[in-house]
Amino acid sequence: MITTHRLSKLYGRGLYALRDLTITVGKGEFVFLTGPSGAGKSTLLRLLLMKERPNEGEIIVNGHNLANLSRSEIQEYRRGIGFVFQDFKLIQRRTVLENISFVSEVIGVAPAQQRRRAFQVLKWVGLQHRMNAYPQELSGGEQQRISIARALMNDPALLLADEPTGNLDPDLSLEIMNLFREINAGGTTVLIATHDRELIRLVGRRSITLDQGRIVEVAEGMRA
Amino acid sequence: MRAFDYAFRQGWASLRRGGGSTLFAVVAIALAMSVLGALLLVTWNVERLLARWTTSAEFSVYLRDDATSEQRGVIEALVDQSGAAAGRDYVSKEQALVRFRTEFAELASTAAGIGDNPFPASIEVRMQAAAEADGRADALLKKVATLPGVSDVRYDRAWLAKVGAGLNALRRAGGVLALLMAVAAAVTVAAVVRLGLHARREELEIMQLVGASLAFIRGPFVAEGLLQGGFGAVAAVLLLWGGFSVASASWGPQLTAALEGVDPQFLPARFCALLVAGGMVVGGVGGFAASRHAV
Repeated sequence: MITTHRLSKLYGRGLYALRDLTITVGKGEFVFLTGPSGAGKSTLLRLLLMKERPNEGEIIVNGHNLANLSRSEIQEYRRGIGFVFQDFKLIQRRTVLENISFVSEVIGVAPAQQRRRAFQVLKWVGLQHRMNAYPQELSGGEQQRISIARALMNDPALLLADEPTGNLDPDLSLEIMNLFREINAGGTTVLIATHDRELIRLVGRRSITLDQGRIVEVAEGMRA
Repeated sequence: MRAFDYAFRQGWASLRRGGGSTLFAVVAIALAMSVLGALLLVTWNVERLLARWTTSAEFSVYLRDDATSEQRGVIEALVDQSGAAAGRDYVSKEQALVRFRTEFAELASTAAGIGDNPFPASIEVRMQAAAEADGRADALLKKVATLPGVSDVRYDRAWLAKVGAGLNALRRAGGVLALLMAVAAAVTVAAVVRLGLHARREELEIMQLVGASLAFIRGPFVAEGLLQGGFGAVAAVLLLWGGFSVASASWGPQLTAALEGVDPQFLPARFCALLVAGGMVVGGVGGFAASRHAV
């Protein structure tokens, strides 16, 4: 699903966020990216989302070399990716239902189809009863579940999450990880950046440890 | 179609959220469009007067006091055969004096003191409208001026041309002023729309990440500008109409007299529609300029 070859990202003079990074994530795989702050985890996710461009190397996602995509192809590519952030990035003046259906609305999905899918994913994360609430009325765990529901709206082939449990307590973190496992069980490739090694141990999937932009360890997980 | 619908729904919502800043942009557009509208209103009415003068344009052939009836006959024959004249009248010296006394009654005492009649006899020629366009009027004018017995030839058209040139100058000056104000209004709209853009920064980021097209990302800002421009221009038309109604009610007879009997009229619907469209274009340009910061 994802292959990077000698990928480098340079910020400023000589400051590498990623250096000669070569990794492969198979289709349907669940992989953790871990390492200390500044290891390059978030940078790799930003490159995969095409929010930034690498200085060297290439990224192949689902057979597409990201360097060769035109503007409209980038739009099309992003429609196949779901994303979850540590700070949820929910729109405060929209209700839960509006936050979720918004991502389908702006890619031109018909209103009836938007609503149907939004109810479906809300039910799946167990928050259909909060659909008319505003984000600020929800707990952190609920907000992250909404954020995951939003990521699933367009039925992505790849789900990227950047420290999705960073703002949550351990119990809620595990609950969120279980959601990711269920998503992965449905065939979606999941790549999660986290520095929480205990959580990785509990979930028991493959993890790639980065430090100063390089791979320092790859651990095959024991499925929990 | 969905992008269009989304753009206008979001543009309208943003317009309502904007409050005071939106009002500021609408007022800026209204001012620019009022200047343009006032200019149109004045030139439209003056043009109506000019059109009336043009259709009744005539030239006068003033005869020397010693001109003979044969010389007059030659002049009249030339006018008749030219095919450029719609009609002609001979005005004798006595008739010219009577006309002066009638039209300038306040100067009657002055005229009474004049011993010899100073007014020349003349032939007044009404021209066909087409004769001006195809050059026959000018040709006739030149020929008549060289004939014996003719002391002077006066043609309204020259004066009308001067009035027309003055009107064009006014139109150009007003146009430049309106253009400057329109640019200022577009800049104001762009600034106001950008305020809304900053408020929606997070939303825009999500839109880009989920692969929304440019029409969805930038459309709402263009729509917001179009709506601001449209409302501003409608306000300008209403303002002009109100001003025109008050002026007509207060100084109607004076205005009609100033326009030599032509009743002043408000701008026709097509001009009002053009003003509104112009306001929307100005607002849309401002919105489009702001939307470039959205991606």
